Amino acid sequence: MKKQSEKPAKAHKKNRNVAIVGIGMTSLSSHKEDQNQPEMIHEAVRAALADAKMTLDDIDCIVHGNMELFEMQFHPDMWHVLGSGAYGKDEYRITTGGTVGATMVCAADNLVASGLYDTVLAIGFEKLQEGNTTGGITNMADPLWFRNIQTGALTGTTAAMMIDEFGAERAKKAAMKYRILMDKHAMLNERAHRRFGLEYDQAEDLMKTSPQLVGELRLIHMCSQSDGACAMIFTHEKRAKKVCKKPVWVRDHITVHREENMSNLYAFEKPEMTHHYAARKLFDRNGIKDPVKYFDVFEMYDPSAWWGLDWTREFLQLKGDEHLRMLEDGEFDLDGKLPLNPSGGVIASNPIGATAMLRPAEAALQIRGDAGGHQIKKEVRHALASGFGGTMWTVLMMLEKDLDW
Amino acid sequence: MAEFYGTTVADIFNTMPKRFKPEEAKEEDIAIGYECKGEGKWKVTIKHGTIKVEEVKGDLKGCATTIRAADAETFIGTTLGKIQAMDALTTGKLRVVGDVKLLMTLLPKIFVQYTVPEKKSSVVAKDIISTITERFRPDKAAGVDMKVGYDLAGPDGGKWTIVIKDGKCAVKEGLAKDLTVKMTMPAEIYVGMMLGTISGESAFTSGQVKLDGDMMAAGATSRFFNKFVDPNAQASEAEELITIKVTNSINCRFATGTAYGMWFKGLKEKKFLANVCPKCGRTQITPREICAFCRVRCNEFVELGPKGTITAADVVYFASPDPLTGAVRKTPYAMCWILLDNASAQEAFCFDIKREDLPKMKIGARVRPVWAKETKGTFTDLLYFELDK
Repeated sequence: MKKQSEKPAKAHKKNRNVAIVGIGMTSLSSHKEDQNQPEMIHEAVRAALADAKMTLDDIDCIVHGNMELFEMQFHPDMWHVLGSGAYGKDEYRITTGGTVGATMVCAADNLVASGLYDTVLAIGFEKLQEGNTTGGITNMADPLWFRNIQTGALTGTTAAMMIDEFGAERAKKAAMKYRILMDKHAMLNERAHRRFGLEYDQAEDLMKTSPQLVGELRLIHMCSQSDGACAMIFTHEKRAKKVCKKPVWVRDHITVHREENMSNLYAFEKPEMTHHYAARKLFDRNGIKDPVKYFDVFEMYDPSAWWGLDWTREFLQLKGDEHLRMLEDGEFDLDGKLPLNPSGGVIASNPIGATAMLRPAEAALQIRGDAGGHQIKKEVRHALASGFGGTMWTVLMMLEKDLDW
Repeated sequence: MAEFYGTTVADIFNTMPKRFKPEEAKEEDIAIGYECKGEGKWKVTIKHGTIKVEEVKGDLKGCATTIRAADAETFIGTTLGKIQAMDALTTGKLRVVGDVKLLMTLLPKIFVQYTVPEKKSSVVAKDIISTITERFRPDKAAGVDMKVGYDLAGPDGGKWTIVIKDGKCAVKEGLAKDLTVKMTMPAEIYVGMMLGTISGESAFTSGQVKLDGDMMAAGATSRFFNKFVDPNAQASEAEELITIKVTNSINCRFATGTAYGMWFKGLKEKKFLANVCPKCGRTQITPREICAFCRVRCNEFVELGPKGTITAADVVYFASPDPLTGAVRKTPYAMCWILLDNASAQEAFCFDIKREDLPKMKIGARVRPVWAKETKGTFTDLLYFELDK
């Protein structure tokens, strides 16, 4: 594996500490025809303000984001002003593909940490029902070369590689166990979009009969297309301590892009994955030697069961079949060593512009103990959350219960 | 036959010939099998604009594609769009053996969407008369003493007398002699008036209802009773949610720049031109201005291939649109990663493989490019790769 850079990690300097003090989410579903976009956003914004016990007067700046190509609505922030509460305020619009929700959290954190703004509201949303996701993703590909080949986000290469590495039986079983575990978590989360009530004894049947999409990537493995919004409020340490009983601290985050071309992912010699690179750098500069031991929850952006499972190895810096064994031994269960996606993850709900924000939002709710039905029973002090998009872009962030690092 | 969402599986098949669009199915020649657990099996044969729908007792034979539903609710729900077909397919409640994309592409094209027919009420006059005592409101009829006669003509008709006295109400068969008022009309007019589908006023005016006796009393009777509710009526549909439909189509023109300019010039000459990183030696295909790993400019171009070796393959079964035309592609098709001869080990080239070669294709196989007759320096110059036998 070729590593992209061996330079020593630089510590992330922060001017002041930043906390998450408000979280609001809409329910996530395939259709939200009873609301237009500003109305849906407004629902999440109101929920976040109520959670923070704040009003719009307390908000200095708004960060607004989605994947504009999906609904083909440019400058959606202009349409959404009344829903977002941006009237008369500073606003930034962000679009970075699948990562956009996580990028907004990074941006809000940076805006507050820098001292430019005291309290920032970030809003991620998508109404995939209103546009054409596959068309959007196709138009995201390099127009000079690759848009002519690529459509959508479906690929079976990870499944093929895992089957090659671990054998068809073990790999397919593991992918199904991962899928059903995510559904079991989603069943506990009343906001989740797809809650099928799958049982482990259905695995054998589904892995054979679920329609094939690409190679061994089957319909059952793939994430949904959802509508929904998420809003989060960030403020600085002094104010957070004053206004919030359970602030969740943004410790550090890293964003890694790779070069634009997909081709050199699947030659005989493979480059280091952005997920591995991002985690390696982030853990290194924060002195995390054993991420599985350190973190109490991981909310990972998992677009499919195959990708989700494969990526646990990359993010958690595991070797060989360690990630498969963790899954097989129940270590990713709610009562396991490192509970994975208690919310049900992206496989259950995927309103793309909100998806990567739901990861830190759900992780923060776990730290607060406010996750509801899918709350992890033991205390959650350290959380990891990831975002994914484009040609393997990664955002990875660490959240903390206490300001003690 | 189980009923869901106000209809049955048989209704859906029975209406198929009526909903069929022959013009759209001129080119089609396909037999589709349907199996709905607990309901039965059907075979639908579509051939050059004709359709045959038959219920099958034994095994489904000779069907290119078979659609199986776990239960009637799944079949009816997905047909009506009340259940997401994608969710039913995901959980395996709906299964397709054969061509899955048929569900999303062919069927919506050749059939008018099935809708639940509006139910005609099966209520007859007797049903309404029999509920009169339970619908009676003594509080509204205090001090009233009257006998109202109904003489309803027709096969579902009959003669009844409603007696209201001392805050009580009774229904007797036949017509009493001392009626306060008698109303004569066809039984279906009575039913229509009671269900609210026929206006009482216009029925009187048009002479469909004949009154004998105290006209004022006849007009007052409705006050003494709660409204009759049809027990078979479907709950009224929720208000329509209005959506606006828009199709965006944008013509674009992209400058290629120095590196891609060379790439397309190469294609015109049926050559694969890669540029080489002066630091790590990577042969970048397609060529990029710099090496992202080494962050140096790559100015030297080399020709790769034209033959190469497959390193990975994505065999696509799910119909996705052709990115150049938007048309649904025929499945399966495959996108392969190919290490062209003379390329560095990390640099595969991703492209389509010839459809006919799919069954024989495997990792490590040797392939060669197939070019368009006339190459112009654009996407369409390279058609696909084929096995190099």
